[in-house]
Amino acid sequence: MSSEGLQRGYAILKEQIDAPTASYLSSCVNCGMCAEACLFFTETGDPRYTPIHKVEPLKKVWRHEYTFWGRLSKALGLSKPVTDEELAAWSPLVYDGCSMCGRCSVVCPVGNDITYMIRKVREGLAAAGHAPEGLVAATRRAITVGSPMGVKLPALQAQIRHVEQDTGLSVPVDVENADYMLLLSSMEIMNFPEFIAAVTRIFDRTEVSWTISSEAFEATNSGIQIGVSDLAAELVQRVVTAAEKLNVKYVISPECGHAYMAIRWEGPNLIGRPYGFRVVHILELLDELREQGRLKLQGKETDRLTYHDPCQIGRRGGILEQPRNLLRAISDDLVELPGGGMMNWCCGAGGGVSSNERADEIRLRAFNRKKSQLDQIQVDGLVSACSNCRIHIEEGLEHNHIDLPVLSLTELIEKHLAD
Amino acid sequence: MKPGLTVGETLRAHGVTRRGFLKYCAAITSLMALPPSSLKAVAAALEAARRPSVIWLSFQECTGCTESLTRSADATIEELIFNAISLDYHHTLQAASGAAAEAAREQAMHENYGNYLLIVDGSIPIADAGYSTIAGISNRDMLLETAAGAAAIVSVGTCAAFGGIPAARPNPTGAVPVSELITDKPIINVPGCPPIPVVITGVLVQYLTFGLPDLDAQGRPLAFYGQSIHDRCYRRPFYDKGLFADSFDDEGAKKGWCLYKLGCRGPTTYNACATAKWNNGTSFPIESGHPCLGCSEPDFWDTGSFYHALSTPTEAIGEAAVYAAGGGLLIGAAVGAVHQRHKRKAIESHRKVSLDDIDEGAAK
Repeated sequence: MSSEGLQRGYAILKEQIDAPTASYLSSCVNCGMCAEACLFFTETGDPRYTPIHKVEPLKKVWRHEYTFWGRLSKALGLSKPVTDEELAAWSPLVYDGCSMCGRCSVVCPVGNDITYMIRKVREGLAAAGHAPEGLVAATRRAITVGSPMGVKLPALQAQIRHVEQDTGLSVPVDVENADYMLLLSSMEIMNFPEFIAAVTRIFDRTEVSWTISSEAFEATNSGIQIGVSDLAAELVQRVVTAAEKLNVKYVISPECGHAYMAIRWEGPNLIGRPYGFRVVHILELLDELREQGRLKLQGKETDRLTYHDPCQIGRRGGILEQPRNLLRAISDDLVELPGGGMMNWCCGAGGGVSSNERADEIRLRAFNRKKSQLDQIQVDGLVSACSNCRIHIEEGLEHNHIDLPVLSLTELIEKHLAD
Repeated sequence: MKPGLTVGETLRAHGVTRRGFLKYCAAITSLMALPPSSLKAVAAALEAARRPSVIWLSFQECTGCTESLTRSADATIEELIFNAISLDYHHTLQAASGAAAEAAREQAMHENYGNYLLIVDGSIPIADAGYSTIAGISNRDMLLETAAGAAAIVSVGTCAAFGGIPAARPNPTGAVPVSELITDKPIINVPGCPPIPVVITGVLVQYLTFGLPDLDAQGRPLAFYGQSIHDRCYRRPFYDKGLFADSFDDEGAKKGWCLYKLGCRGPTTYNACATAKWNNGTSFPIESGHPCLGCSEPDFWDTGSFYHALSTPTEAIGEAAVYAAGGGLLIGAAVGAVHQRHKRKAIESHRKVSLDDIDEGAAK
């Protein structure tokens, strides 16, 4: 790789180091608890996947640039700086072997947000040209076409026409001054259009004023996944511009984990200002409508169900109670996955792992954890609220020859709308 | 006492029953943390061990170590074991005096040269030979001369092992431990002020039966000094719960809570007090409500008040601490400012990362 790429990556790592990072790196006690919390370590037993080890390049730059002894030894030529080979060697660790699930940050006894730092390592590796091919291609499509899967407006319009035919309802597009603007992930448009139908029916019944923007309907943010803040900011800005143009009060993040992380938590920091609207997750909104008595539900599921918390929505997003409130309203036989909720194990394909063909093998290995958990609780159906989790869990189940329906919570709620 | 006898024969000559002997062996075996199954081996080895010739030298000491061993409430088997060795010279205990006593030492050295065991209590003054002499011979000369023919040396008590009270600041006599003067012989340190009697004889038994014991970094036999007082203290559960006595007469003290805050050195002191106990197994200091002083550790006499908790400074550091903190703040602020500037420059020189940048390497 070119030394120009290394220079670029090094400069980015250098500017990524902030006060929290410096305090995290200096307070690590090498206890190794993060290893046991990491899916990729527990399922492979390979110590290279120890979360704190994944931030080694960042740690090296920190020592070199921001510590007294590091700078002294650098000035005396005693320490070697990060090399391009090192950055390349870390690429599989931070892109294939990390789903940004955040379990390591939760278990760290000294409170280090390791996931936050791995996200920063990705910034440096991407700038140096060491991001995996699949993620780069997805990011290119997101920036140039508008969607990581290459979904264009006509495709959405075609799905909307189908939904309108199926439901007999109209799907509002570009309606100014609506209360809510709905974002969709490409996967929902292409693989799970039932989600659009479900939302349309629910919002019709609960009389929610909503719209979809033809200019910014994509919820996902490849810039966040690959770790390029400049590109992530551009993608966030598109949504912000469209929402402020339509003058909506809220933007709804759909059933997609990292999309919520991007628009709700990272977005304002990326564009450097507060939004003129608020962001809610679809589950937050549905539970709020239920609480207000606007969303009336009837009938109960007869199957024994469990809920898989998508990492970015549950652990890292704080939406843990809402899905359970909703599910308890329609099910009397809800069981938790072992450690479900705050410490739920990741499906194994979040954080860009699913867009990265290089990680195909390891993500199926990582799925073994979910498989053994499902073996323990013996359910008839698994409900989740992230298209990416659903696709990967379905693939993992198929790979293991297990027949288990994987359901969308929003779609399930829609089935129980009271007449 | 005839030197040719075994330990077993000697004990029987003193009327010790087989039962009493085995009881003692069992106690020593458990104290050495050996499995019960090795009791037989210990008993057999001890029974058959030849009584070694022992020379006991006392230098700058208070005789407390000898008292500890010989002034037990009853005539204990420890004492008999002690008698079972061929103690050829001990100027506190021997009847002879003057030239006759020195002649006994020289004879024992001559007859058993290279094989006798040398026990030392007390530290050795090296500032001036006149500080402590025996029969006109300086402590240092006597030690060097006697150690030359010894098979091994046992430094009994903290003075012989680490210098002890005579070596406390300002150490006017230039007191040093045995290990500072003798480097070419195996030295077993049995510190304590005084050491527990059963530990002293235990070390002798271990030496007689198994040879030189395994030692820790301070030269102490691991079998007796392997665990801290704190780890085996019956008040440890209170420490773990954070229940401490804050003074000697408060509620916590009455309830028998942990004495850490009153200066207990248990956590940094390695000895068998909490398990072997004192006065024929009656108790140890913490049981009578007093913190451990750490008497079996080097420099225990110079680490500040015994009544300051371990983590509090042992010296008056008031002014120095203020300057150090102030200096630290200044240096911290200066280094911080440099890093801040460095960081600001890094952010200012940010060049936007483009699609082509990230694509560069990924194509390969």
